[in-house]
Amino acid sequence: MKPVGEEESSSSIHHDSSIPSGDNSVWADVSPLLSAACTDLQEGELINGDNFNLFAAMSALEIMDPKMDSGMVSTFYSIDEAIESGFAPVPISSDSTVNVQSIIDIMDHLLACEATWHMGHSLAQTVFSCIYVLRPERTSSQALLHSYCRVIRATCRAVVSVVSDARTNEEEDLFTMTYGLPFSGDEDAKGLLLLNAVEETICRQLRACKATRRRVLEALVTCLPSFMHFLHALNCMRRPQGRGLELARKHIAYCISELDSVLESEDFLRLNIVENGGNEIEESTTASGRSPIGFDPTLNKRLSAPTPPRAIKLLSWKKAIDYYVKLLHNLDQICVFSLEPDLEAVLQFLIQFQKSSPDLVARAHLQLLLVQDGKLYGRDTFLTICARSLALDVSKNHGLHTNEYILQLNQLMVNLLKILCANTPWQRRKLGKILNDWSIFHVQMGIAVGQMMQHDTSRASKNGDKSLLILNHIYGGLDEQINWVAIRFLMLGFDLDLYSPSEYCMVYWYMYIILWKLAERARFRVLIVVNTEERKAKRNKEYSRDMAREDRISLWVLFLKCQTCLAQGLTVMIAALRNEGMCLKSQGPFNTENEKFIQHFELLQKASLPEYDAYESFSKSTSHARLDYLPMYEYFHDAQKIAKDIKVGYANDPDKLAEVQGLEKVAERNIVAVNLFCQDRSLKVSFEFTHHPYFATAVVRRS
Amino acid sequence: MEDKEEFDEGEIEYTSYAGEHHLPLIMSLVDQELSEPYSIFTYRYFVYLWPQLCFLAFHKGKCVGTVVCKMGDHRQTFRGYIAMLVVIKPYRGRGIASELVTRSIKVMMESGCEEVTLEAEVSNKGALALYGRLGFIRAKRLYHYYLNGMDAFRLKLLFPKPRIPQIPSQDQTQQEYETFPRPRE
Repeated sequence: MKPVGEEESSSSIHHDSSIPSGDNSVWADVSPLLSAACTDLQEGELINGDNFNLFAAMSALEIMDPKMDSGMVSTFYSIDEAIESGFAPVPISSDSTVNVQSIIDIMDHLLACEATWHMGHSLAQTVFSCIYVLRPERTSSQALLHSYCRVIRATCRAVVSVVSDARTNEEEDLFTMTYGLPFSGDEDAKGLLLLNAVEETICRQLRACKATRRRVLEALVTCLPSFMHFLHALNCMRRPQGRGLELARKHIAYCISELDSVLESEDFLRLNIVENGGNEIEESTTASGRSPIGFDPTLNKRLSAPTPPRAIKLLSWKKAIDYYVKLLHNLDQICVFSLEPDLEAVLQFLIQFQKSSPDLVARAHLQLLLVQDGKLYGRDTFLTICARSLALDVSKNHGLHTNEYILQLNQLMVNLLKILCANTPWQRRKLGKILNDWSIFHVQMGIAVGQMMQHDTSRASKNGDKSLLILNHIYGGLDEQINWVAIRFLMLGFDLDLYSPSEYCMVYWYMYIILWKLAERARFRVLIVVNTEERKAKRNKEYSRDMAREDRISLWVLFLKCQTCLAQGLTVMIAALRNEGMCLKSQGPFNTENEKFIQHFELLQKASLPEYDAYESFSKSTSHARLDYLPMYEYFHDAQKIAKDIKVGYANDPDKLAEVQGLEKVAERNIVAVNLFCQDRSLKVSFEFTHHPYFATAVVRRS
Repeated sequence: MEDKEEFDEGEIEYTSYAGEHHLPLIMSLVDQELSEPYSIFTYRYFVYLWPQLCFLAFHKGKCVGTVVCKMGDHRQTFRGYIAMLVVIKPYRGRGIASELVTRSIKVMMESGCEEVTLEAEVSNKGALALYGRLGFIRAKRLYHYYLNGMDAFRLKLLFPKPRIPQIPSQDQTQQEYETFPRPRE
């Protein structure tokens, strides 16, 4: 690194006299001072102040180091300079066929840029690296390019708006940074109108032109509408209470089928290119393999602060298309969701949705649909939803809506749903943290409800006011919700690859404890629901009981029990393997299993899940496990039996059915494995997740 | 195949950071092997404030590996942090990184650290295995942590607490029951 001032001292210092120096200060030439300081300090030395921390150290830039100095390498000093030098001509070529081909390349490259932006890179270095997008007014003579630039700006704005409104942007803050970019204007309508007109013109031209040109135009006709439909779909999805979902779905279907034709047109566009090798085409950001005109990622370098700009690798055109296909399918999944006022349905949907690892844009849309104005779908209060899951009707108890515990519960539910829309690493961290909030709330509400019950003169309930009863039931239901969050937290650890095989034993033990509690609470809820429904039916002979709901909860209880048995079986099996020396113990030079246990589960312990010393209980229950310990087989057999029984119940739910079949296989295979271990203790054991993402299957191999 | 250096483990000499002459060695090693660019101030920040946590490995006078760390208060805990660990390719797989990092961790433990943390790329199997053997757990996954879009794991090693005699729990029966209740039908 060169000390600052070395180069400056040789050139004359000129300061801008137009900048006022302020009341108590004057401009002074500091070059001599700097030179003197330079002779005192060796290269790279620093004067360490008390406030010099790691952040300050990491923020220091080495001037002229291309890895760090954002201003160092750029082709042009400004956009104007780039335009003046003819970097982005309008029209691109005087040959109209070449002109259209070049525009297609620009559109392709912009698609790759947009997808790369969605994946978490800055807008300044991706979409806004295009001079035509930065200065759309220049292209007004070129209707196609002009309208496209406007549509893409409108699309970027729609996406930024959905992500910033949802605030699911997690660590991806970069996503919504638009400062310094020309990002305002009401281009949506204008751009779309223009694009419509352009499409018509092209269709007319198509009928009267030569073969080569016709193929280029055809390619264009197939890809143009997809951009319009995409923007339409995004806008429809934003309508309140999911009212635009049906229409959005139509636009999405258009987009998907058009993307398919775009992929077909790629072959043609490539016919014209012979000079490029095959590999280069795979990596290319355009379907044709040519480099697009008018892009310079260094143009906005000075806008990309506060982080130093990094060289980013754009997604290839093919990968960008794959990204959009996935995004559209995720958006479609959201559009078909039934919007039932049913908490379990929502939670199940969220988990299913997250299985395909949807990207930020899709997750933001889902979150905005689920939570609007503090209500589910902007329509149902969480009091109604929670009461409904207990078969209670709150339409007569208006006072409850302003009850402080109900308001707090509403807030907790809103937070929970938002967190469940986040990316899974962030989601797990947040779930761990909110467990504590839930458990504190649980204790507080318990005390308050208890006191209210004591002071209740029972006159209120005679008058038909069931508020207290409802509050009490909702309080009872909280425990189930807390354990649901806890099990989601534990299971996500498998998705994120946070557990090593030597830790599986403690993880399954903990899952067993939570699942058992969860199943118990759910069973309790079945009793409440059945009881309430029976009373309603008795009072009103014409009352039709919602048997489907009762069956659904009972099935859910059995599903949980099946998982409970598996977790229990796996705990004992792995403990036995460990105790008999067939599996590695979790022990390092600096700490023991106890410390690992504390670290993995401290957030659960803080939330009193369970209420006793979990580690002591874990070690007691696993230290004596042996392979000839018979109950181990029973656990797996029980799981297998329950899985068999509940398959019928899930016949209409293919996802759940597949999961239950997976659980059944895990039980089956582990029974076989245990039999093999018992016969030959020299076998090598490993664990696989071939049948279920969270429940392991033991695999044996001769050593 | 990479060229592996032929050497005897006994030939590797380990030394604690001993002054300015070690700095260029550390910088060139890290610059070569790690993707993140660090300014000289970052190196100085670490080696001047915690020279005792920085170690170098030499083979016949050539610096082949280094570890750079810090420690300090972090949310009511005193924690160590492993910032950089590098062993050049021909010398990998022979326990040099383990030895370097073990030396740092020992000093951290003796200095009263309660835990040690670091980040490692999810695809860096070698590093994950090394830290796993030392007792680190994967505490969190950090989404898109690196600028190349890769996730990282936050690895943590908790030291055992000094033993305090425990009063036996009062409600043993409850615990025994909760240990393995049979699922009820």
